[in-house]
Amino acid sequence: MSGADRGRLFLENAAKAAAGTHSVSDTGDLLAALGRVVAIDSPVYCPGVTPIERAAAALFPNRVSDYAAATVTVEEVFGAIAETGTLVCSSEGGRAVQAGLLPAHHVAIVRRDRIFDTLDDLFAAVAAAPPTNITLVTGPSRTADIELTLAIGVHGPEKLDIIVS
Amino acid sequence: MSPEQTSLAFRENSVRALQDPALRAAMKQATDTFGTKRADAFAPVRDLEALRDRASAIRDDVLANLPMYVDRFVASATRAGATIHRAKDAATAREIIRKILADRGARRIVKGKSMVSEEVDLNSHLEAAGMEVVETDLGEYIIQMEGETPSHIIVPAIHKNRRQVGRLFADRLGVPYSDDPQVLTKIARKAMREKFLSADAGVSGVNFAAADTGSLVLLTNEGNGRMVTTVPPLHVAILSIEKMLPSLTDLPAFLRLLPRSATGQTMTSYVSVITGTRKAGDATGAKELHIVLLDNGRTEILAGESRDILKCIRCGACMNVCPVYRTVGGHAYGWTYPGPMGIVLTTLLTGMKKSHPLVDASTICGACVEVCPVRVPLVDLILGLRRRKVRDRFNDPRERRGMEAFGKAAASPALFALGQRLAGAFWPVVRALGGKDVAGRMPAPAKTPLRRRLP
Ligand code: SF4
Repeated sequence: MSGADRGRLFLENAAKAAAGTHSVSDTGDLLAALGRVVAIDSPVYCPGVTPIERAAAALFPNRVSDYAAATVTVEEVFGAIAETGTLVCSSEGGRAVQAGLLPAHHVAIVRRDRIFDTLDDLFAAVAAAPPTNITLVTGPSRTADIELTLAIGVHGPEKLDIIVS
Repeated sequence: MSPEQTSLAFRENSVRALQDPALRAAMKQATDTFGTKRADAFAPVRDLEALRDRASAIRDDVLANLPMYVDRFVASATRAGATIHRAKDAATAREIIRKILADRGARRIVKGKSMVSEEVDLNSHLEAAGMEVVETDLGEYIIQMEGETPSHIIVPAIHKNRRQVGRLFADRLGVPYSDDPQVLTKIARKAMREKFLSADAGVSGVNFAAADTGSLVLLTNEGNGRMVTTVPPLHVAILSIEKMLPSLTDLPAFLRLLPRSATGQTMTSYVSVITGTRKAGDATGAKELHIVLLDNGRTEILAGESRDILKCIRCGACMNVCPVYRTVGGHAYGWTYPGPMGIVLTTLLTGMKKSHPLVDASTICGACVEVCPVRVPLVDLILGLRRRKVRDRFNDPRERRGMEAFGKAAASPALFALGQRLAGAFWPVVRALGGKDVAGRMPAPAKTPLRRRLP
């Protein structure tokens, strides 16, 4: 699969799992996309560790350092899986995986070169020395516990936006 | 929770279930929906049969070498920082967990959905020790509030409709009545969020354990599995020994099968892969991770003729298609595990003496075998248990005498002919005595028996 195909397939499958999907080609695009999905003055948690995160963080004046107090988390995640439209969040590098869990809105940025074709490719890459926590995220938090009727946002985010950059 | 096993009363339980129209409507709606969603989810999967073969072969290998994989898991999980406790039975597991929690002064415990914790009846034990145990899966939360037990292994409150849940929440939480699942979900989110943030410990089950890396794998849609395992400083996982996979690289096959079989999703919203405790430089992970490895009769099952039930990955598909389960619901089975897999597991884990009516709770139609993603031979297993039931003389003595008499007659043409004549002669008497209960169900004997009509 070519990089572009992989990115397209990933976003297509992520959209099927009810994630908002966006594809951007440079930092200007990325900031514009962020501005569209997040109200600029929301209490945002953004780790500001990677270059992409540093650029993103500058956009939000009202940043909070405690993700439990944020309404939105904006972060770059470890990677993604095209086969299932899944985000891969990892604790590697001191990242708080639960930052993408507690706030009601999770905005995840994935670099195009970090998309794996399949689940097998991901696990082959991490199985030798898995970090403390790997969480695969496919769509927003959901339940069908009442009459098998879909409801969104039980314990995790009710809204998931994915930006492939 | 009422842990009293009522499997012996399966018949009475079923009769009661049949007279409950709300239950029957809920079961029909839910199991129909499951059927369609499952079929839709599998439709685009190419080579599904090869995928099932592969998953089945991996599970066979695990069972063939279980002690080795368990040892390997213990070694790698320990290396990653987890503390392992081995529990031979339910009482030991409960006590180990109570002690871990009590020693650390834990008072508020948040719990992820775990059928194994139901199996060992953990909650009542912790509550008796003065701890507050909060079930955080929405379905479990509902039935805990109602004081019930799960009636399905994936959707514990499948037997309840939205109005019942709405009234329950209005009653117990003092919120305005609503029967909108989305509104009810939001109410539960708010109530439980506070509990999560103030919890001393999280207790979870485990879907799979990777022997090579010592990782625990948990699948949840709601995110409570993630909460329970990462928000509190202490995480206690209860893991039955058969949940091993040889390697983390075996996981993809099961991730392709389990969500589709269980809920008709391509993928569960969240899959957590937890390897040990929080290490230097980590910002995620419990500071202490205790894994309670539960045997509770599994080593014995492994050595017997029903061992294949231990291949089960608890997807619930077999119950959704079972004509008996669909009609009577999960509570009738009287213990933790319902449906076809429950018939087998309950009988093996609690003993024939406490559960023998269950082995008849199947029409042997084979729908369960058709859907089982890991090819558990449920029909063969149930038939095997029926043979055992007869051998150990747990069947009705009248049935036994009747079958013995039939066996003798069938072996002798003269006796058989006599039996046929007697049946014909006494039919009016049987009819008069048995009423329509007997005559209505049993056809009258033919005037001329078939074997005399054949050339
Ligand atoms: S026996 Fe098969 S179908 Fe039934 S719960 Fe287990 S894995 Fe699923």
